[in-house]
Amino acid sequence: MHLHKYEKIWLLFGIGSLVVFLFVVGYGAFWQGTHPQSHGVTIDPNNIESNEAFKPENLGLTKVDEDEYIINIAASAFYYDLGKDEEGNSVRTIRIPKGSKVLWQAATKDVIHGFHVAGTNVNMMVEPGYVSSLETIMDNPGTYTIVCNEYCGIGHHMMYATVEVYE
Amino acid sequence: MRRQEDKKASEKDKPDLKGTFVSVMLLGIFIIITWVGAFALFVSR
Repeated sequence: MHLHKYEKIWLLFGIGSLVVFLFVVGYGAFWQGTHPQSHGVTIDPNNIESNEAFKPENLGLTKVDEDEYIINIAASAFYYDLGKDEEGNSVRTIRIPKGSKVLWQAATKDVIHGFHVAGTNVNMMVEPGYVSSLETIMDNPGTYTIVCNEYCGIGHHMMYATVEVYE
Repeated sequence: MRRQEDKKASEKDKPDLKGTFVSVMLLGIFIIITWVGAFALFVSR
């Protein structure tokens, strides 16, 4: 088979790029733990309280260890339930120190919602019947808005909360 | 004499792929730049 010199160059270039790309993706998936946000962990969407993490008293921020937190979120149209503070008011802002390792766990009581801490990689789809979870290290201080980025109904645009990463 | 003519003829038959080569490479570079850009964004956040 005769191949033109230029054809050989771009075939080599193309195959080389593919190898590099697959290596980067494979490294992320198998060594760094990058994977889809739903791990196939199921939950009863009509009774998410049956799961320990989504009991009303366990919602919101929980400190597990030094610089290690779990944040449980119950999403429903059109609200993120982040638990209650000491005075019994609904938490609208979560404050975490910079550099913390955070495990985000979200479940929905009704329709599909999104969960995006805008400006970070925390971006999940929250589907009825599944627990979505993602672990990140919050390295960049700032105030981030949690937004629903899956259209969930008439009040979709009102569905938000805030995360503050402080130094 | 005959040989030279043959050589000339076969060179003429070869397709000119210079333009194709440049455009394929430009496209490849564009894809790589956008991919690396998105990946850098992912890593830095």
